[in-house]
Amino acid sequence: MSHEPVGVLIIGAGASGGAFAWSIEDLGMSVLCLEQGPWVKQSDLPTNGMDWEARGLGQYAPDPNVRQLPADYPVNSSESAITPVMYNAVGGSTILWAAHFPRLRPRDFTVRTDDGVAADWPIRYETLEPFFARNDQMMGVSGLAGDPAYPYHEPPLPPLPLGRGGNRIARGFESLGWHWWPSDSAIISRAYEGREPCINLGACVSGCTQGAKASTDITYWPVAQRKGVQIRTGCRVQQITLDEDGLADGVLYFDEDGALQEQKAEIVVVACNGIGTPRLLLNSRSDRFPDGLANSSGLVGKNLMFHPVGHVAGIFDEPLDGRAGPDGCALWSHEFMPSDPSRGFVRGYQFQIGRSDGPASTALVGGAQGPVAWGKEHHASFARIFNHTASIGIMAEDLPEETNSVTLDPELTDSNGIPAPKITYTVSENSRKMLAHGLEKAEQVIRAAGASDVVVGPHVRVAGWHLLGTARMGTDPQTSVVNEWGRAHDVKNLFVIDGSVFVTAGAVNPTSTIQAIALYVADSMKRNVERLLD
Amino acid sequence: MANEVSPLEEPAFMRAVLDLVIPPRADGVLPGAGALGLGGEVAEQLRADTSDGPGVAAGLAAVQASARARDAEGFTALSAVAQLAVLQSQLPEHPALIPGLIRYVYVAYYQHPTVLGGLEQPARAPFPEGFDVEETDPALLALLESRRIRAPED
Repeated sequence: MSHEPVGVLIIGAGASGGAFAWSIEDLGMSVLCLEQGPWVKQSDLPTNGMDWEARGLGQYAPDPNVRQLPADYPVNSSESAITPVMYNAVGGSTILWAAHFPRLRPRDFTVRTDDGVAADWPIRYETLEPFFARNDQMMGVSGLAGDPAYPYHEPPLPPLPLGRGGNRIARGFESLGWHWWPSDSAIISRAYEGREPCINLGACVSGCTQGAKASTDITYWPVAQRKGVQIRTGCRVQQITLDEDGLADGVLYFDEDGALQEQKAEIVVVACNGIGTPRLLLNSRSDRFPDGLANSSGLVGKNLMFHPVGHVAGIFDEPLDGRAGPDGCALWSHEFMPSDPSRGFVRGYQFQIGRSDGPASTALVGGAQGPVAWGKEHHASFARIFNHTASIGIMAEDLPEETNSVTLDPELTDSNGIPAPKITYTVSENSRKMLAHGLEKAEQVIRAAGASDVVVGPHVRVAGWHLLGTARMGTDPQTSVVNEWGRAHDVKNLFVIDGSVFVTAGAVNPTSTIQAIALYVADSMKRNVERLLD
Repeated sequence: MANEVSPLEEPAFMRAVLDLVIPPRADGVLPGAGALGLGGEVAEQLRADTSDGPGVAAGLAAVQASARARDAEGFTALSAVAQLAVLQSQLPEHPALIPGLIRYVYVAYYQHPTVLGGLEQPARAPFPEGFDVEETDPALLALLESRRIRAPED
């Protein structure tokens, strides 16, 4: 294994790391990515077997504390109202995500200007627009052009079918006169770039055996590798190291045998997600940076945003599609996304319509009401909901608060002895009001769609899919960690490209925007290569 | 009590408990979880679960002990009504018993081919055949067509 110095060292091979690696190779420098997880074989994924639900709840569970695979690190979430989830592998959490693919809207970048809260981004929607489009092409996005909630954009593939449940819910929105639109999904509806189309396996969140759902291990990485990018798996970075001038000069990492290794690099790029990135920066203390690398602002790990989620399930008399079809989303509604002060909260939320579960998960989750009854009522309780539910998720815009944070746990460590992250997070009063409003409106939709009964889950605890804000971007080094193109204010050859750089969260799933930012940062580096360290 | 056998090692006991958790459906199409032979699989999973398994095992031991206070032959010697009463009597002292048990019983039951067949679900892995899903209602798409914004060059 070569440990020759490289030009660009990327830490993390997930959504942002894959996109960035594919683009930055054009710079002409050698590029290496260190990833703590393995490559995932599609043939190993749960939907290959009869026990797909059991494996989805265990080995492929989204919570790393449940999974406890060798690639995982523990997360202390005992003081968090929301449990963070993620996956550690080439592809990162895109292995287990639902591939719902909205992008931030133009007014999500100007929250301070528009609503007087949080902060504005140093970039605008228009800055990212070409990178959204390129990313849609690379990932393979299905959708219907012309959603009036967005500036015009054209997904490369036609939309996925709504299914019985989606058709039902769409008619509910129609009867109320509220906005709805088929989702942009990073799931291919037609054969595309050597990948076969979706065959409605369901269980997207335990990995797509068909390969129709985009994950960067099958989209960006194969192309990046053909271009010459190297990737080294099973490598967990302990710390980023500095030279005598205070520039990043590489990393120390544990290889898959647990041996500590050194890798030198001219540029270091961190792509470890909104928890892993601050964890690494805080673990990279030195005499020059006693509070953690690139942390002169004190904001590394602060302003953690998740997107609090509520859930309303409708029970319908006629059978719906059950678990078949992409399980993340059939359609979205931005009806209550814009701010309206008369509602008693600022900003807004997204409705995201989902399908239902397989039989075992139906029995365990029961729509949104918890496990179905045991004993003599069991079969009747189960039959009432199995294949008879469609649901609406309410995804609230989480505003940044410094008290919501990632710190280092004083005791908990991973298998290499590296301090683990501790999450401190409270759902704000604003978000609580937003969720309450959303639950009420979602019930209206469900009833308008013809549901005979409604089950409300006011707060979904295991909902921390979106890990945002913990190394935010800005032009002022006092109030941000990285500049407007991802470069750390304190260390001029250190970049952050994942969800950590988000200034505000919007009310939509962030992966499309995370990847557009990664491509934009790579493009900025290529255009500014002559003055990269100025 | 030193030689007391864990209830997890008693197949007849496990079968009886599981049949209380998921009894046979009234029409006879779906068997009880115990009759389906899931006791051994569930016991194995509980033994491997170092987090919740001990609590469930303790609860089951309490159920067996309570049953033996009624009948020296233990839980399986009781009527179904008496079994249910004994089980329920232990739940206040062992609140983790049912949640820990159903986590494994429900999953084992609902991925069993017999049960899937009874539910008129295909008893196969989702891949590679997949499933059919209803297409988007053309009437809904027509409504969207009238609202869609156009490309700048349209």
